Amino acid sequence: MHIPDGFLNTPVVISTWALSVSALSYSLKRTKEALKDKMVPLMGVVSAFIFAAQMLNFPVMGGTSGHLIGGVLAAVLLGPYAGSVVLACVFIVQCLIFQDGGLTALGANIFNMAIIGTMTGYIIYRMISNSLGGKKRGIIAGAIFASWASVVIASFVCAIELSISGTSPLNIVLPAMVGVHVLIGIGEAVITSLVLGFVLKVRPDLIYNIA
Amino acid sequence: MHHAYLDEYTDLNSLIHRLDPRIKTIILFTFIIFIIMTKPGIFLSFACYALILMVLILFSRIPFGFILKKSLVVIPFVLLISISIPFIKNGRIIADYTLGNFKLRVTYEGLMSFFTILAKSYLSLLCMIILITTTKFSELLKAFQALKLPRIITLILSFMYRYIFVLQDELMKMQQAKESRSIGSSRWFHIKTLSNMIAVLFIRAYERAESVYLAMCSRGFRGEMRTINRFEIKTKDLFFLFIIIALLLSVKITVG
Repeated sequence: MHIPDGFLNTPVVISTWALSVSALSYSLKRTKEALKDKMVPLMGVVSAFIFAAQMLNFPVMGGTSGHLIGGVLAAVLLGPYAGSVVLACVFIVQCLIFQDGGLTALGANIFNMAIIGTMTGYIIYRMISNSLGGKKRGIIAGAIFASWASVVIASFVCAIELSISGTSPLNIVLPAMVGVHVLIGIGEAVITSLVLGFVLKVRPDLIYNIA
Repeated sequence: MHHAYLDEYTDLNSLIHRLDPRIKTIILFTFIIFIIMTKPGIFLSFACYALILMVLILFSRIPFGFILKKSLVVIPFVLLISISIPFIKNGRIIADYTLGNFKLRVTYEGLMSFFTILAKSYLSLLCMIILITTTKFSELLKAFQALKLPRIITLILSFMYRYIFVLQDELMKMQQAKESRSIGSSRWFHIKTLSNMIAVLFIRAYERAESVYLAMCSRGFRGEMRTINRFEIKTKDLFFLFIIIALLLSVKITVG
């Protein structure tokens, strides 16, 4: 869900921008520490990967199609900090080149999915996979629930921002947004777990911090 | 392979194309802020902004049809989010529909805020389209960097921009190969194969990033990149900036 310009009021625009900028600069610092001068090429190419993967359409039902968002996928593969940097770069390019999501709403869009969605998704993934012993089964189980939850949580935050802005009342926008994303999240969970299952089979060393 | 072209009209030579990218970025971002700050229901100022944007498009010599087509792609999403607003906002009721035992009310305030949101998002969209169709992406990134966006972000974005097409091409080739071999298979088979394709693409992207990094190291890369910055602000640019800001301010002051 990309919020266009005009849907958020000034206080929400300013506060989401401030939150995104501070969270993102912390993520950038942590990524830089971990990857050193390899960071720029790696983050650039992986961002392009998420961007390309989002363009692939999956058949859903009766001719409709959906696509991957990739927040939890990026976090499981690269770690939460690098994952949020990658997602933020994808949102910036989508906003600048394809006008997908507004410029003033970019702060909110980054905050919802790249920061909140990815970070809470990673925490959930870590908790589940650790409690299942961190083996292959745990990683997949964690990724399934975390990617579903990350989409739902992001839509929840998005609904709250829209209602604070006075665009539409909370009792309407919240059930509508969350209801739709409960379904979208299922697709996200299926794709994320299948992708991770394949990576685990072929190059398990590419998964971040594997136990 | 077929792509949606990105820099399609950035090679034209017009007044807008020749503007300094920094000035252009400042002008259009300020424009968006003015549009967003407009109070609901003041449609005269939206009309004024639209008029200024039309003149800018005219100067840029980019075909109106192209801009219209590019802008209409996003409108369905805007409508999807905003379509319920006229029905749920409290206020003076101007229309009442009964569908079976389901009641629909359209309020004046709801309709006003619906059209305001539509106008704001469409006009901001036009600003972004003007910026991106008259500026090369690499120049835009340099302008952002000059305007103090962290260098690490602009570097990542420039890498990303280089590899989007390479990776998309790879994905399209895989998809073509898959489609030519799997006609009529079950939906689950398609979902599984497409997911495997994404995984393969990730592994290839990761390996590509590593070899790119090694190639860079062998050419002396130490985490720093040097680029030539040939930007130069001329009086013409400042004059243009002044005119646009003056126009925006006069609309804001006289109309609201």
